[in-house]
Amino acid sequence: MASDDCKRFLNQLESWTEGERPANAGAHLRSCVRCQSVVADLSTIQAEGRTWGAQEAEPPEHLWSLLRAQLEEEGLIHATEADGKAEVVAAKQGWFGGFFAHIPRPVLAGAYLSALVAVCVALSGPLSKPTNEAQWLEGTEVATSPLSAQLNSFEQDPITSSRDLNPAVTASLHENLAVVDNYIALCKKSVQEEPQNEIARDYLYGAYQQKADLLAQLHERGENVQ
Amino acid sequence: MPESEAIRLAQQGSAPAFERLYRLHNRRVYSLCLRMVSNTAEAEDLTQEAFLQLFRKIATFRGESAFSTWLHRLAVNVVLMRLRKKGGNEASLEEMTEPDEDSGGPRRDFGGPDLRLSGSIDRVNLQRAVEQLPPGYKSVFILHDVQGYEHNEIAKIMECSIGNSKSQLHKARMRLRELLHEAMRDKAREDRKAATDSRGGED
Amino acid sequence: MITGRAVTTKSNLKAYWVTAGLLVPGLLLSSAVYAGPIRHEQHFKVTAHPVITIHNPSGLITVKAWTKAEVMVISMPATTEVEVDAEQMGNRVDVSTRALSESVAPGDMKADFQINVPEDSELQIHNDAGAVNVSNVLGDMNVETVAAGVDLADTSGYLTVKTVGGSFQCSRCAGRIEVSSITGSFRLIDLKSTHVWAQTSTGNILFNGEFLPNGTYSLKNYSGTIEVRFSPGDSFDMSATSLKGKVNNEAKLTPSTHEHHFVPRWGNALFGTFNQGRAKVELTSFDGTINILKRD
Repeated sequence: MASDDCKRFLNQLESWTEGERPANAGAHLRSCVRCQSVVADLSTIQAEGRTWGAQEAEPPEHLWSLLRAQLEEEGLIHATEADGKAEVVAAKQGWFGGFFAHIPRPVLAGAYLSALVAVCVALSGPLSKPTNEAQWLEGTEVATSPLSAQLNSFEQDPITSSRDLNPAVTASLHENLAVVDNYIALCKKSVQEEPQNEIARDYLYGAYQQKADLLAQLHERGENVQ
Repeated sequence: MPESEAIRLAQQGSAPAFERLYRLHNRRVYSLCLRMVSNTAEAEDLTQEAFLQLFRKIATFRGESAFSTWLHRLAVNVVLMRLRKKGGNEASLEEMTEPDEDSGGPRRDFGGPDLRLSGSIDRVNLQRAVEQLPPGYKSVFILHDVQGYEHNEIAKIMECSIGNSKSQLHKARMRLRELLHEAMRDKAREDRKAATDSRGGED
Repeated sequence: MITGRAVTTKSNLKAYWVTAGLLVPGLLLSSAVYAGPIRHEQHFKVTAHPVITIHNPSGLITVKAWTKAEVMVISMPATTEVEVDAEQMGNRVDVSTRALSESVAPGDMKADFQINVPEDSELQIHNDAGAVNVSNVLGDMNVETVAAGVDLADTSGYLTVKTVGGSFQCSRCAGRIEVSSITGSFRLIDLKSTHVWAQTSTGNILFNGEFLPNGTYSLKNYSGTIEVRFSPGDSFDMSATSLKGKVNNEAKLTPSTHEHHFVPRWGNALFGTFNQGRAKVELTSFDGTINILKRD
């Protein structure tokens, strides 16, 4: 029969699996084999689910034929002049536009942050302070320079600077973009002054994430007008 | 052709654009349907229905959410409507989970400490256990742990809150744990019975 | 001033008809010139835990809880060129605003809403400009705005709020709260929440509520002020860092010695526990000021 401590742990288990680590829960888990078993089982289920998910099934080819026939019957498909131009237009947009188009906004912003953090951790150097500082700085530069260039080029995209149905809102987004750009410049300076300052780097990456998010919002509004 | 361009052309009725959108998303949608219903014929049917609904409504897509989120929401709804019809009652998504006897926490079932699942489950066991989940739990588990969606995406797809998604996922995993332990105990019982029967036959 | 019962006399009657004769044409004239806001009212029967989604470019959205198993949507579009669609699918009600023609003026893409919902409803609200006010709704909530301010009172559940420049105020809210903005300021008053995560870049953050045992409270900004107010009975483990700004503290903290903390070169930081240190409080600013003050 479960003890009160076990019941308390089970009440916190949902938060535990989401990554929160209350100190008392950790202490109980270290000493309780039953609760360890529960946590281990949930991890196993999650891992097995991921393995299952890695194998995507291919639908049979005839499915598209059936679908197309149905769409033609309903009159939803008809040939347009644009069909011939589609590939030409696509080539002009570049990888960044395509990247934005494929990935949902919150995931995109999160993916940038994760990639930046991963690169910087990978570039962390040996123990000696001057060498370590130089490597941290280099790592941050390597991670952020191409991203910064791509975000700036995306900012110049005509779709991003389009007016949408609510210019006051678009103006607010642009104003906030200017705030974030200023914030990025100041964070960069701070990182140069203290390369090993993790909090400053965290602020810098957060700022890039905010910029990506704002640009995504502007891009979506611009597309609504196209 | 990038997706945004395909959407724009599909809204004008372009056949290559429709096909491009289909090719971009068909595997993910089909895999989702197959995992939810575990039957290839039915999964094909559901995939076709999901894309049909998508293409019928594509003119109304305004870009408030990502296209894939919108499509997967349609697909999940198509699957859940089918499961609801099979179940014979008009339960809401919120109701398609097991009611909790107490304040909503998971059942307190430990299993013995020596019955850990690690090493004892594989895809087949897991699939069988997932098939027994109520539709709401099944959807969230498949979307998160199998298909790899984050909670904020699941919240948009299932039109619930992030908190609800997390809570449903936790309950789904706990229920799966119970089902898998039951399966292990059943198998152990069958093995013991088979061993006893064979010894009895030798006597 | 009329006191007691009104007495009708011939002269009173004459005055009455003269007044009516002047008023009625005036009213008719004014109604011809100004038709007033267009108002639509719709009702939807729902069961437990309905989901209500609202997509609106601009306007005032007010959501209140009531005891009926029904969602009432009163919408007031700015002009006849803007329409509000409200449709029900099962236990979900979707409300959205759209333009009826491409020539609608940007300032007219606007609608105000008054919505009554069951208290266990889940809400998803997108309103770019204007304001969002929600009270007494206990279900989970997701609110996204650009410039609209968000004001929540007496709510519960899992609240996620995201604005670009809009301010956020939350009074007497329970559950979990996650709020982010770029230039918006936050006021978190009398919260009963076990988990608060608040991040803004240039806005101020005021937290004046309980630090519940085992709760986690993370408040972060780039510049501006972060102010938290504590009571003598509170119990928290505090970490307050401003990379280039000041940290002002009125709490008698027991310094924590067992963990390694990063101390900024130019700014200020303090780490320690107050009473038993049961809640975890993390305050971070880039160059703003952090104030840890006693509650009055």
